Amino acid sequence: MDRQPSPLWTNSSSLLRKTGTWRSAKPEYILSPSPCLGACPVNGRIAEWIGLLMEGDVKGAWLTLVDNNPFPAIAGRICHHPCETVCNRQQMDEAVGICSLERHVGDVAMREGWSFPVPEKEGEKSVAVIGGGPAGLSAAYQLRRLGIKVNLLEQQPQLGGLLRYGIPAYRLDKKIVDYEIRRIIDMGVDVELSAEVDDQHALQKLHDEFDAVYIATGASQSKALPGLDYSQSWVIDSAEFLSATNAGEPCSLGSDLVVIGGGSAAIDVARTARRLGKSVKLLSLEPEHLLPAQKTEVDEAIEEGIEFVTAAQMQSVSKDGGSLILECIRINFNQGEERGKFTINPVPGSEFQLRTDAIIPSIGQDADTSRWQSLLDSDGTVVKTDDCWQTSTQGIFAGGDVASMDRFVTQAVGMGKQAAAEIGYYLEQLLSGSPVMNANETEFSEINTNYFPAAARNKQADLEVDDRLQNFSEVQQPLAEDHALAEASRCFSCGSCIYCDNCYLYCPDMAITKLKHGYEVKSDYCKGCGLCVAECPTGSVVMLEEGQGTA
Amino acid sequence: MDMIDYPDGEQFSPGHVACAGCAEALSLRVILNTLGADAIAVVPPSCTAVICGGYPLSSVSIPVQHTTLESAAASASGVKRSLNALGKTNTTVVCLAGDGGTYDIGLQALSSAAERNEDILYVCFDNEGYMNTGGQKSSSTPLNAITGSTPAGKLSRKKNLVEILAAHRIPYIATCSPAHLSDMSAKIKKAASIRGTKVIMVIIPCLPGWGVADDAAVKTARMAVDSGVFPLYEVEDGVDYTMTIDTRNQSVNAYLKQQKRYRNLSDKNISDIQADVDKEWEYLLGRARK
Repeated sequence: MDRQPSPLWTNSSSLLRKTGTWRSAKPEYILSPSPCLGACPVNGRIAEWIGLLMEGDVKGAWLTLVDNNPFPAIAGRICHHPCETVCNRQQMDEAVGICSLERHVGDVAMREGWSFPVPEKEGEKSVAVIGGGPAGLSAAYQLRRLGIKVNLLEQQPQLGGLLRYGIPAYRLDKKIVDYEIRRIIDMGVDVELSAEVDDQHALQKLHDEFDAVYIATGASQSKALPGLDYSQSWVIDSAEFLSATNAGEPCSLGSDLVVIGGGSAAIDVARTARRLGKSVKLLSLEPEHLLPAQKTEVDEAIEEGIEFVTAAQMQSVSKDGGSLILECIRINFNQGEERGKFTINPVPGSEFQLRTDAIIPSIGQDADTSRWQSLLDSDGTVVKTDDCWQTSTQGIFAGGDVASMDRFVTQAVGMGKQAAAEIGYYLEQLLSGSPVMNANETEFSEINTNYFPAAARNKQADLEVDDRLQNFSEVQQPLAEDHALAEASRCFSCGSCIYCDNCYLYCPDMAITKLKHGYEVKSDYCKGCGLCVAECPTGSVVMLEEGQGTA
Repeated sequence: MDMIDYPDGEQFSPGHVACAGCAEALSLRVILNTLGADAIAVVPPSCTAVICGGYPLSSVSIPVQHTTLESAAASASGVKRSLNALGKTNTTVVCLAGDGGTYDIGLQALSSAAERNEDILYVCFDNEGYMNTGGQKSSSTPLNAITGSTPAGKLSRKKNLVEILAAHRIPYIATCSPAHLSDMSAKIKKAASIRGTKVIMVIIPCLPGWGVADDAAVKTARMAVDSGVFPLYEVEDGVDYTMTIDTRNQSVNAYLKQQKRYRNLSDKNISDIQADVDKEWEYLLGRARK
C-alpha cells in the first residue's frame, strides 16, 4: 500500500540526537587490584583465577595460578593465606576460602597431569641456583620460563628444603612435594644433589662459570636457647627431629616431651611427637592469643591433646633420677612495636615445675651467612641485598630465608619469582608482563553486594582426632568438587569484570556495546549518569570526568 | 552471582531525552524489548510521551499513538478493537502512562476499560507525582512527601490503586521495580499472554522529583522493595494475591533519608510511616496466604 506520510507522524529515529553532549563524566572500565592480590606474597591474580574456576575453566584457573606460583597444591595446603585476612567478603559474611580453592585447583592439575611447557627457544645464558627449597625452585621455574638454563644445586639428597624436611607429612603429604617439584625439573632443570657450596671459593667458581648465581640456601641452623646445654642427650634439635621423622627414622626419646617455642615449627614438632605416641607440653613466652603460629594450627594441636603452657619461661633444668625437672616462672609478655622486639617480665612468686624426659627447643632458625663472608655482605642474620635482590657482588642474587626475615613458604616463593625477574632483566631477557593494573585497590564500598546472595563459607573437613594420631595422614581434607564451585561463586571478583552484563542491561540510554570479551561506551549517547558504576557488582567500572585519563 | 536475564532486541533507541539515569527509560527498555515488534503503544501526556517522541524523531520502533491525558485506556481499547476487526488479533496494545494519567486524570477511562475487560496491557510508571510539569502532587504522592504543590509535605496518604483495580476483578495486576529487571520482564511476558485487562505498576524513583542522585534510581527502587514500601506482588482475577518477594530486610529509614522530598520528616513522621508500612505489609501477606 502506497501511503504518504502524514506530517503528524515522526519520520526519523532518535539516534540523530547525540545526547552524549549532556555528559560531564564518562564510565571507564578498569582492572583494579583486589585486596587479596595486594596481600598475596606471590602477587597471585586471585580474583582472576577464581573467576575462571567459577566459569568451570579449571585449566584456565591453574594456568593463571602458576603464572606466579608453581606450587598450587603445596601452597593450597600450607600457605598462611594473608589473602583471606583482607578479603572484602568478610565485611558481608565470611572471607572466601581462597586457600582451599587453590588446593582444589592444584589437586585437579595433579590428577589431570597438567605440565609446564619446556621453553620453545633455549637461550644462551645460564644461572646457578643454590638451594632446592621453595625460593630456589620458584626462581628455577621462572628462569626456565624465560628460556634461561638452570643448574640447581642442593645440599640434601633430595630437593624440597623445608617442604620436604621441615613440614610434617600430616600437613603436607610428600607425594605432593615430589609431584610439584618433578613438574619444574621436567622443564629441563639440571639438578645436582648432595652438592655443597661451602665457602667463598666454591661460590666464586660458580660465579665465574655461570652468568648469574642465585642463593636460596634457607635458614637451617636452629637458634640456640641461652643457658641450655645442647650437648646433653635429652636436648634434641628441632630441625633434626623433624627431618629425621620426615625421613622415616624418628629419634629415640622418652615418653614425655617439652617443646619450647610458639611458632609454626614448634607446633609442627609438638604434633609430630604426638603422632609418635608421646605426651607433649608446649612452653611458650607468648600468651596463647599472641602465639606466632596460625590459629588453626594451635586449635588442632589442642584437639590432639598437646598441653599448652603459655606466658611462661624455663629458668633452669635439673636431673631427678631418670627424668628432668624444669624450673619455670610465669611472665608478662609485651609484644613490642616490631616483630621479635618483645620484652618479658617474670611474675614474682609464680614459680612452678614441669617434669619431663626430654626437651626440644624450637625458637626459630638462623641462616648461615658466614661461609661466604668475604664475598657477600651480611647484617649478621641475613645476606644483604638491594631492591633487585642482588648481593654486594654483582651477578650474585639471593632470596628466601637466607636473605630475609619473612619466613613463610609462600613469601619465599614470591622472592624467588621476583629474583628471577630481576636476573632476567640483568641478563637482558625481559619478562612478559602480567596485565597492567591501572587503579587503586578495590574497596568493599565499591562492591554491590545486592548481587551476591548470603552464603556461608564451605569449610574443609579435618580428619577425626583419633585417626590423626594413628599416623601422618593429612589432617585437612579437600573440598568436594561441588563445594569448591560453590565457594568460588562466593568471590566478589573485586576489581575484575566478570562479564555479567549489568552495565549493559542497566543503561537507560543503550550506550554500552557488548564486545566479545568486554564492553565499550558509546560516547554519542552516554549521558554520564553512572548507573553502570552503581550497579557493577565487582567495582570494575568507574566514572571519570571528561578529559581525565586513568592514572 | 545473580544474573539479570531479559532479551534486548533494540526496540528502544538511544538519543531519547529522558534525564540522565532515568529509571523510566530503563523500564521502557525492558518492557518494549519484552513485548517485541508486534505491539502498538498508546501514550497520554507524561514523561513517556517526551521520551518516546520529540517530533519528528522517535526512540521507539513500534507505532506509538499519542492521546489525551484522560483517555489512554479508552484509546487503547479502540486501537485493540480496530486491530481485531482487521484480523490482527495477536498484536499487543500497551498503554504507557504516568501516575497522573492513571491515578487521577485517566482513572475514569481505565475503570471503564477494566469493567469491560478490554484486551489491553496498561503500564503505569508510578513516580508519585506530576514530575514532567515541574513536580506537583498526584493522588499517588505518599504522605509527607514534598512536591511543588505540597511544600510542607502531602497531608493525605497514597491512593491504593491496585485495590481499586482488583475490585474490577480483572485477570492480572502486578507491581514491578527497575531494580528487578528479570522479574519485570517475566511479568510483562505473563501479562501479554493473558486475554483481558492487565495492569502493571512500576515504581519509578524520579531523580529531580524525589531528589536522589543521578546514579541512584535503581538503588532507591531496590530500597523501596527491600523495606516493604513498594512490595512486589501479583493479583490474579482480583482475588489471588502472590508475593514475588515475601521478606523485608530493612526499615524505611534509609529509604526515606536519601530522598530530598522527605527532608523535613520528624522522627515521629518516620515512625508513623514505618508503622503504616508494617501494617500494609502484614495485610498484604495475609491476603497472599489466603
